[in-house]
Parts: sequence; structure tokens; C-alpha cells
Amino acid sequence: MTRSPIMDTIADLVFHSAIVLSLYFLFAGHNQPGGGFVGGLVAAAAVVVYYVAGGMDEVRDLSRFRPWTILGGGLVLASLAALVPLVAGDALLQSDYVEGDLPVLGHVKLTSTLLFDSGVYAVVVGLVLMVFEGLGDEPEAEDHT
Amino acid sequence: MIWLVALHALVGLGILAAARYLGRWAFALGAVPMLAALGFVGRHGADVLDGGAVTETSAWVGRLDLAFDMRLDGFGLLMLLIISGIGVAVMAYGTSYFSASAANARIAGLLVLFSGSMVGLVLADNLLVLYMFWELTSITSWLLIGSDSTDARARAGALHALMVTGAGGLVMLGGLVVLGQEAGTYSLSAILADPPTGGAVGVGLALVVVGIITKSAQYPFHSWLPGAMVAPTPVSAYLHSATMVKAGIYLAARLAPAFALVGGWRPALIVIGLVTMIAGGLRALRQHDLKLLLAMGTISQLGFLLVLVGTGEPEATTAGCLLLLAHALFKAALFLVVGIVDHEAGTRDLRELAGFGPGWGPVKVVTVVAAASMAGLPPLLGFVAKESAYEAFVHEGAWGAAVIAGLVAGSALTVAYSVRFAATVLPSPPGDAPAVHAPGRWFVAPAVALAGLTVLGGLFVSTLIEPVVDAATLVLDPSADHVHLALWHGFNVPLVLSLVTYGLGILLVVGREPFARAQAALAPSFSGDDGFAATLRGLSIAAARTTRVVQSGSLPVYAAVILLTAVLVPGAALILNGSWSGWPRFAETPLQALLAAIIISAAVAASVVKRRFAAVVLLGAVGYGMGLVFVVQGAPDLALTQFAVETLSIVVFMLVLRRLPARFEQRRPAIATWLRVLVASTVAVGVFFFALISAGVQLPRTVSPGLIERSLPDAGGGNVVNVVLVDFRGLDTLGEISVLVVAGVGAVALARAGRARSTEEAGE
Amino acid sequence: MSGLLALPIALPIGAAAVSIVVGRWRAAQRVIGVVTLVALVADAAVLLARADSDGAVVGQAGGWEAPFGITLVADRLSAVLLLASLATLLAVLVYAIGQGGVERNHVGFHPVYLTLTAGVSAAFLTGDLFNMFVSFEVMLTSSYVLLTLGGRRDQVRTGMTYVVISLVASVLFLTALGLIYSSAGTVNLADLATRFTQLPVGERQALALLVLVVFGIKAAVFPLFFWLPDSYPTAPTAVTAVFAGLLTKVGVYAIIRTQTVLLPPGDRPQVLLLSVAAATMLIGVLGAIAQNDIKRILSFHIVSQIGYMVMGLGFFTVAGLGGAVFFVVHQIITKTTLFLAGGLVEHRTGTGNLDRLGGLVRTAPAAAVLFLVPALSLAGIPPFSGFIGKFALIDAGLDDGWWGVVAVSLLASLLTLFSMTKIWAGAFWGEAEPVGPGHRLPGLMVGATAALTALGLAVAIFAGPLYALSERAADDMLQGTVYVQAVLGR
Repeated sequence: MTRSPIMDTIADLVFHSAIVLSLYFLFAGHNQPGGGFVGGLVAAAAVVVYYVAGGMDEVRDLSRFRPWTILGGGLVLASLAALVPLVAGDALLQSDYVEGDLPVLGHVKLTSTLLFDSGVYAVVVGLVLMVFEGLGDEPEAEDHT
Repeated sequence: MIWLVALHALVGLGILAAARYLGRWAFALGAVPMLAALGFVGRHGADVLDGGAVTETSAWVGRLDLAFDMRLDGFGLLMLLIISGIGVAVMAYGTSYFSASAANARIAGLLVLFSGSMVGLVLADNLLVLYMFWELTSITSWLLIGSDSTDARARAGALHALMVTGAGGLVMLGGLVVLGQEAGTYSLSAILADPPTGGAVGVGLALVVVGIITKSAQYPFHSWLPGAMVAPTPVSAYLHSATMVKAGIYLAARLAPAFALVGGWRPALIVIGLVTMIAGGLRALRQHDLKLLLAMGTISQLGFLLVLVGTGEPEATTAGCLLLLAHALFKAALFLVVGIVDHEAGTRDLRELAGFGPGWGPVKVVTVVAAASMAGLPPLLGFVAKESAYEAFVHEGAWGAAVIAGLVAGSALTVAYSVRFAATVLPSPPGDAPAVHAPGRWFVAPAVALAGLTVLGGLFVSTLIEPVVDAATLVLDPSADHVHLALWHGFNVPLVLSLVTYGLGILLVVGREPFARAQAALAPSFSGDDGFAATLRGLSIAAARTTRVVQSGSLPVYAAVILLTAVLVPGAALILNGSWSGWPRFAETPLQALLAAIIISAAVAASVVKRRFAAVVLLGAVGYGMGLVFVVQGAPDLALTQFAVETLSIVVFMLVLRRLPARFEQRRPAIATWLRVLVASTVAVGVFFFALISAGVQLPRTVSPGLIERSLPDAGGGNVVNVVLVDFRGLDTLGEISVLVVAGVGAVALARAGRARSTEEAGE
Repeated sequence: MSGLLALPIALPIGAAAVSIVVGRWRAAQRVIGVVTLVALVADAAVLLARADSDGAVVGQAGGWEAPFGITLVADRLSAVLLLASLATLLAVLVYAIGQGGVERNHVGFHPVYLTLTAGVSAAFLTGDLFNMFVSFEVMLTSSYVLLTLGGRRDQVRTGMTYVVISLVASVLFLTALGLIYSSAGTVNLADLATRFTQLPVGERQALALLVLVVFGIKAAVFPLFFWLPDSYPTAPTAVTAVFAGLLTKVGVYAIIRTQTVLLPPGDRPQVLLLSVAAATMLIGVLGAIAQNDIKRILSFHIVSQIGYMVMGLGFFTVAGLGGAVFFVVHQIITKTTLFLAGGLVEHRTGTGNLDRLGGLVRTAPAAAVLFLVPALSLAGIPPFSGFIGKFALIDAGLDDGWWGVVAVSLLASLLTLFSMTKIWAGAFWGEAEPVGPGHRLPGLMVGATAALTALGLAVAIFAGPLYALSERAADDMLQGTVYVQAVLGR
């Protein structure tokens, strides 16, 4: 596949800003519009941009982790958020939050649901990567009809 | 007593498991639980014969009144003697009859299991437990008939027997439940002590009778019994003459004294019994296979027994008990003889059997004695039984006379086929013909023992037989007087009837050829076998047709049926209850109307276009339209999610579309287009109105406002949608991300499989 | 909230996640799967003991009081079905490990099997209608993947039928949820129970009927079952066995739960359910008679037996519903065992076609015994568990004078026996056919089947306490208030 440097640059730019946006959605989601699911979807959209620009190889190079691991890891995080409160004798998925003033960031409220939401985020990203893994390769090679 | 059944089960299963190592020992081992049963009878015999009973109970399913209530009383003792006594004889015989092999050892194991079921059946004092053992005898019988399963006739005979007795059993189960519910208990002794009288009792009894007559091979359900004769002869001797077929007789005997006058019980059983007795006798005369001759004779005698025990009068009951015992002894002995003949001569066809030389003496004696007992000749037990049967009906006026006429006719036939049977075994071979190899001593011994008992029982009827029959009669019918049996009653009506019977029998023997011609001319061309075969054929045709209609294999048809059901069934409830409450306001803003128009047009267009790509884009338009609706309604989070999901869906669709033809395939649809449009419109209209009606009856809200109230203070989040997703309903989200994970795994697996397949096919 | 309630849902999801992460390390996947299921069986046993002695165990996910969060409830009904299901899942997993096949070739098998477990558990434990939808989605998505793992062409094609029909059912379920939330304003089952009584009668009945149709598709009742016999038989044995034993029963559970909770007595669709039951029993078993392949025959029997359970519910008496509950437990175990035994035959000979089988009673006696026992139980032969269930239902039906449907059930029972003897005569009797690409039977496969057979026998032996428990469960449900009180405390 021939590649244009302009396209590359644009793709990089869009990709990185989209990832930042997706992380914003993830972290701000509890109080502003957003959340892990939407965040994950935006990150996935960023991956789509990369795919359009560079094909499957580019997508594969994006992350050190295999999509399989990201998918499973996301679910691990979410299940931890579900199961850990049980160890403490609380309800399944019981949430808690700490508030405090940190230097630089100012007033911060950290909710345990963020762990859960991160899991959701990872699963969504992982799923899209899995789909690309399954369907992303050019079909010509196998389409012998 | 449960231990006795358990011992049978244990030994039987043990023999099955170790069949390979046991060989002939299997039969010796198998006799152990039967001997134990006889020992049990010996231990409690005196007590039970005095009118006592041994009872025992063990809970099973208390709430269903299902308990192992076991009870050994006089009648049970009689049955137990038959079951275990004949069982021991058959097992002893089996050691000679069968060669040593694992397959034959398994037959021994199954025989023990059968015997255990039979023991349980006659000891059970709970109708349901009785039914349980009843079914177990059917199952073990099925396995035994089919034991040489490479023979197609064996498989067919096994199936026939199981289906007929199984069907009867299920009908009977219904009847037993009705009886139990009317009586308020499933305890047999309690029901008999205080018989229910409700209106449903007659129905229940009728259903039970179906079970009785199928199990005991009465017309018109008799035809499974000749089919069962493909089983090895010891099996036939034990199951299909001495014991299992008596199960129905056993139950009829138990119920008759209490219920003989309810509904049509007595006339029905007497008529069925007489028809069976005479028709069976007639068919016995036409058989050439000795074993089938005996089988038909058994059917005939079972009819006789049903008449006796079904009448429900003390004298008839006594005669029934006597005949039960007598028949078990002489018929088992005769079956054993057939087995010996078959084993040594290689055939059972009485036209081919040439004659039996020296060494066959004991067999000939056994045959004559047993056949004579069957024919009711003095001084044998069969004679006593028949005399008391006649005696039972001579004082009953007109209907008694009619029954006697039938019994005499049936017994005359019995005389005739007894002679026919015995005549085969009697002649010695002509001088130059090769003699049939004579059986060994131990092979004949069990038959000799049984025949000996027939003689002793007749000669010493008052000391040997009377106590048992007396106890049995008194248990069955508490209103009965004590029984007194004697070989010689003086010159009375029954004796005259016996003489008439012999006379008629001899006439039949003498005139056998014209009689056979008449029978052949008159015999119905349609047999019970044909009936069973036709039923099976009909069943398989009905099954195939139903299935063809129902399982068309067409996905659109399945989906259409489901969708229509989903709309029409609730729709009917809405319409019947007049739920329509009027139209709501059409739209709050023109924008809503515009978006609705866009969504609807896109949806309709998506279902009409020919190109896949266009369909995907139009579906996307529907989704984005929904997103805009969310925006208009003030739900930015939902809108954001909706847009993102739509976008990614389109991307994924595109990835898939690259592998598919550009246009939808234009195959001939399984359902006509107009029909599909009709189904789709019905569903759409139905859901539309359902939604309007549902929205029209809103109850006051508590959950939604409650969530908004709690979001910030309790959950620490300002964005209610996100708090709902990760906190209030976090479990839903956990489930949904699991779905995503699984979908990812599945997508990769499917794509890989597709790829592997393509390369595979490319390589071919 | 009691962790006991949460574990059957959250633990297998967590285990599935770890199973994905360890990926191709098959030994680790196996250990994770088996250990998780063993733990869950123990958990479910304790749950059942508690629910029976102290009343329903209720918990709120996230600690949010009902109806604002998601309520989890283990009453007698859900606890006993959960225990039977998890024990079955464990046995089948061991069987699958013994067989190899998909389990060995697909890294996805173990994780998806675990999510299936989570979905089944959640469906039984949830006290929330929307969460039940999610549970069904988890269960069904997992089943789609399991059904097509290995990806033979016919498997994928018939898998399509299953997937499309299930999606239709999901859409209908979602529609029903939308309508219910729109009218009643809640999806908490106990809350719905009180609110449904305030709805106009037409609306109430229509909503309950729509829910009935939705679960009727899952449970495979007439006329909604057509998809099942077309799609189940092609999957690998272990997968079909789990589907056969569990998925339709989850549908039956959902029918029982919703029809008793949502509708007050007197408003319940009795005649409709009994008619559906009769048609399901009869048409299902006729379908079985027309087949000639072990798995196909057994698949039609799934349908037929569902009819018995619906019949028990349709009586709407303690005895009838108690019988139905007992019957479901019996079916979960027995039906799975039969499929596993059928799988033994296929594994041994390479085919399930009766025309090409024969003589296995001599060449594979273990498989013969392991088939015969559950087959007789399925046919309702005493003393096996199927008889007790059947008898309880007949007893209940005749007690209320429902002669017709009871007669149909007896006829279906006879035909079931007929079709079991057909398999027996075709595969186990007769001349031994030359074995195709057959294998010796691995010990784990035989052992797992034997363990499940023993469990089925245990159901019969301990039928007394188990049936008493079923009746207590039925009593709770028919009273309706018990469930509401447990969840809402009023």
C-alpha cells in the first residue's frame, strides 16, 4: 500500500487528540458527559483512523499488548472492581470515593467506579482491535472466487 | 422385605457387571437370592398362614405418598412361592440349557433382576410402588426378550411386548392415581379395607383394567406374548408363563373382592377372560411350534384365571389361587420340556419331531403328568383347580351357567391341545431312525421336580395346598369362609362337568382334521400382530408428516411464526379488554416530526434497496436519527454514545461487506414477498399500538427521580447516566462488557475458521 | 450483601477474564475453569441450604436499596436450579476436557464457557427484569460462540438459525422491557409485582403474555421451538449437552418466575399454558420419532419434556408447580447425561446415525449402561427421577380434573419410551457395525458421564427431601407475597 506522508501526519494528529479526548471522557465521565464506554468508543474511532491510513500493520503496531490481552485485561479490571468490595464485606460492585486537595490538580474526587470504568474502556478498545484482527486483513488474498 | 428386593438387585447387577468371569456359575449365583426368598417364606410362613402379615415401611417421597410399604400376607406368600420356587427351578435348568458365555451370564443377571421386580410387585402394599415394580418387570422382560439382539425377530418381539405392556402400564398409572385420590391414600391394604365409592372410582378401575389385561395378555392385547417366545426358553418359562403375565391376574385378584360390583368390573373381566380362554385355546390347536402352542395355551389359561379372580366371589377366588399355583407348575414344566426337546433335537416343530428313544423316559413321564394336569385330569393339581372353578359358578344361577358353558368349552380345548402336545413327545423312533440324543440327568431334574409337585399337590391337596390357598383366599376376601380342599368331592355337578369336558376334548382330538379345516376357514385374517404393526406404521407416518410441516427448516418461516405469535397473543389481550385510551399528542416540536420522518424513510428504504452497502448506510441513518432524537430530548450522553456506536457499526459492516457480494442474493424466497410484508406490517402496527397504550397508562414514577436524587450525594457522580451505568446498574454493565468480550472472541474464531476453510478449499 | 449471591455471577466473569489473559496456556485455563466451577457448586449448595432454612437470600448489587439498584435473590426455586445447573456445568467441563476437540483447539472455549456459566447463574439469581435481559445476552452470546466454535460449514449455517431467532427473541424482550418500564416505571421484579396490580387488566395481561412469548422462545415451547432441533445437533457434544440441559430450562425458569410474580392469582393464563404444554409434549415427541440420529432424537425430546414443565406451571397449584420444579431439576441433569452418553457413542464410532450403528452393548458396555439409565429416567420409568417428576405432575393434574392434558402427557411418555428403545435397538442392539474413525473412550469422558448419571440417581434416591423442597418453592411462588416481602421488606 502506498502511503502519503501528509496522510500519516494527519492520522497521527487525529489519533493522538482522539486518544486524549477519550481519556478525558473516561476520567471526567462521572460528572460530565462521557464515561468509559463512550471513551472506549472514541479511542476505537481513533484506531479506525489509523486503519484507514495505514492498514492492518499500522494497527498492530499501535500497542505492545495483543488485542486479546487488552480485552481480557479490561474484563479483569472490571471484575476486580466487582469482586474486591466482597472481600471487604461490602456488596458486589459497591462504590466508594475519596475527596481531597492535591497540588497542581486542585480538588480531586476519586471514585472506585473509575476502576470499573477503565475496564469498560479497555474492553471496548480491545473488542474493536479484535474485530480488526479478525476482519481487518485485505480480503483479496483469500477471495479466490 | 426391602432387603430381599435389594438382594436381588445387588446380585443381578453384580452378575451383569462380572458376566465375563462367571460363565455357568452365573445361574448358580442367581439362585441365591431366590433361595433367600424361599427362606424368608419359611421363616414367616407359619405366622402368615395363620392369617398374620409381615409389614415393613420405608419412606421415599413422603409428600407424594410414595413409600416402600411392604407387606407379606397369605396371597403374597402364594405368589412368592411361585416366583422364587419356579425361579430356582429355572436357574438350575439354565446351568444345563445355556453354554458358558458372557452373554448367557447376562441373561442370568437379568433373570435375577426380573425376579426381584416380581418379588417387589407382590410384596408392595403401595399402589405406586406396585406400579414401579410392574414397569420394572416390563423393562427386564424387554431386555430379556431382546437378549439375542442380532436377531431382528427378537428385537421386534421385545419392542412389541414393551410397547403393549408399557402402554397398559401408563393407562393403569392414571387409573391408580384416580383410585388413590378418591381413597385419599395409595396404600393398597387401606384402600381395600375401606374401598372408595366416589364417581371417579369406576373410571379409575377401568383404566387399571387396561393395565391388567395388557400385562396378562388378554384379548385383544394378547399378541405380544407369542412374539415374546423368541426369548430363550428358560426366559419364556419363567416370565411369560409362570410369573410376569400373572402380574395382571395378581392385581385383579387383589382388587376384585372390593370392586367387583363397581361399574362393569365383573361382567367386563369375565367376558374378556372367556373370550381369551376360548380364542387362545383355538389358536393353540393351530400351532405347529411346540413353544407357540404352549404360549397360546398360556393365553387361554390366563383368560381362565382372569374369569376366576375377576369375579370377586370367595369360591371363585379360591379356584383362582389354586389355578395360579397349578398353572405355574405344569406350564413351567412343559416349557422346560420344550427347551429340552429344542436343545437336543434342534427343532420345535411337531411335524418334524420324529420320536424319542431310550433315555427320554423321564421327559415323557414329565410331559404326560404335566399335560394331564393342564387337561385337568385327576389326581393332579390341575384337576382340583378345575373342579373348584366349576364349583364356584354352579350356584350362581343363569349368569353362572353361562360362565360355566364358556369354561367348559375353553377347558375342552385345553384337553385337546394338551393331548396334541403330549402326543408329540410320546412316540419312540421307528426302528431304523436315528434316535434324538437324550438329555442329561440334571437337565431334566428341574422339570421332574415341578411335575412331581403337581402330583403331590393333587394327592395331598388338603395338607400341602389347602393352608396356602386358605390363607390367600382369606386375605383377598375377608368375608370368605375357611377353605377345604379335597381330591374327591363325591359324585357332584363339577365332576359331571369335568366328564363333559373330557368328552368334548376327546371329540376334538378325534375330529381334529375337520375341526382344523373349519378353523382355518373361519379364522380372522387380521391378527393382533398386524394391528401392532399397523399402529407403528401409522405412528411413523404421523410423526413424519407432523415434523415435515413443523420443521420446514426455513428461517423466515420460523421467524414469521414467532413474530406473529408475539404480536397477536398480547394483542388479543389488549383488544379483548378494550385497552385503547385514545391518541396522544402527535409531536411536541416540529423537529421531532422531521426526525421521525427521516428515521421512518430510512428504515423503509433499508428494507427495499438491493445493494448491501446502501442498506448499511440507511441503517446508519436510522441510528444517527435516533441520536438526534436524543439530542433534541436533551440527553447528550446518550446521543454521544449512539453516534459513536453507529459510526463503529458502519465501519465493522464495511469490513464484512468487503467479503460479500455487492448485492443481496435474489433467491426465491421461502415465503412470498407479500406475505412477508404482511407479517412485518402486522408486527409494526402491533408494537406501535402496544407502545401507545403502554405509554398511556403510566403509573407514578419512583425509580427515575430516585436515581437522580441519589446520584450526586450518595454515588458521588454528577453525570446520572454514567452513575447508572457504572454504579446503580453496574452489574448490567459488567454483563454487557462480558458480552463484548465474548463477541470479540467469537468474531476472531469465526473469521479464522472462515480463513482456514478458504485456504483449505483453495488447496483442493 | 452476601458474597454468596454475588460469586456465581462475578467469579466466572473474573475467571473468564483471567482465562483470556493466560491465553494459550491450556493447563492454566483448565485449572481456572474447574476450580471456579467447583467453588461455585459449593457456593450454590450453601445458598440453597440458607434459602431453605432462613428464607430467600437477598442482596443489592452496589449496595443500592431496591428498586434503585439491581436486586439479587436466591429463593428456594433459584437456588435449587442454580445448584443443579452448576453441577451439570462442572461435569460437562470435565467431559469436554476429556474429549479434547474444541476444548483443545480453541483458546476461546474456556473463557466463553465461563461467561456462559455467569449468564446462567445471573439469570437464576437476578431479581430485576432488565438484568435478566442482560443475563440472557451474556448466556446467548456465549452460546453463539460455543455453537460455532470449530466452524464446520453446516455448524455455522445451522448456527445462523439459532443466532437469528435468538436475536429476534432479544429484540422482543427489549421491546417488552421498554413497554413495561413505560407503564410501570420499574424493572425490579418485586416492585413490578405490586405495580402490575395497579395496571388496567388488558395492559397487565398483554405485557405478561409478551414476556411469556419471549421466554417461550428461549424455553422452546410450541409454536416457538422450531429453531431448536435444527440448530442444537450440529454443535460439539459438550456444547449441545450444556445447551440441552440448561438453556431451555433457564427459559422455563423465567416463565415460572414472571408468570407467578407479575400476575395475581386468577389472572394467570391457565388454559393457554396447558394447551401450549399439550401441543409441546406431543409435537416434540412426534418429531423425535421421525428422526434417525441420536442427537436429533434427543433434541426433539428437549422440546417434548419442556411441555411437562409448562403443564406443571399451568396447573398453578402447589402440587403442580412443585412437580414442575422437580421436573426441571431432573431434566437439567438427565438430559445433559443423555447427550453426554450419545456423545460417547459418537466419539467411539464416529457417527450418531442409527443406521450405521449397532451392537454397542457388547463393544461399548459402559456407554450402553450410561445411556440406558438416563434414557429410562427420561421415559419416566420408575424408580428413576423422571418417574417421580411425571407422577407428581399427573397426580397434581388429575387432582384438579385436567384429564385431557394428563392423558396427552401419558401418551407422550409412552412415545418417549418408544423413541428411547429405538435408539437402544439401533445403536446398542444388533450386529456390531464396523467402527469408523473411532476412538477408545477417554476415562474423563466416561467418568464425567458416570458422575452425572450418579447425580441423576441421587435425585431419585433423595426425591423425598428434594420434592418437599420443590413444593416449598412452589408455595413461595404461588403466594407471591413471599418474594415481594423478601426483596422489598413489605
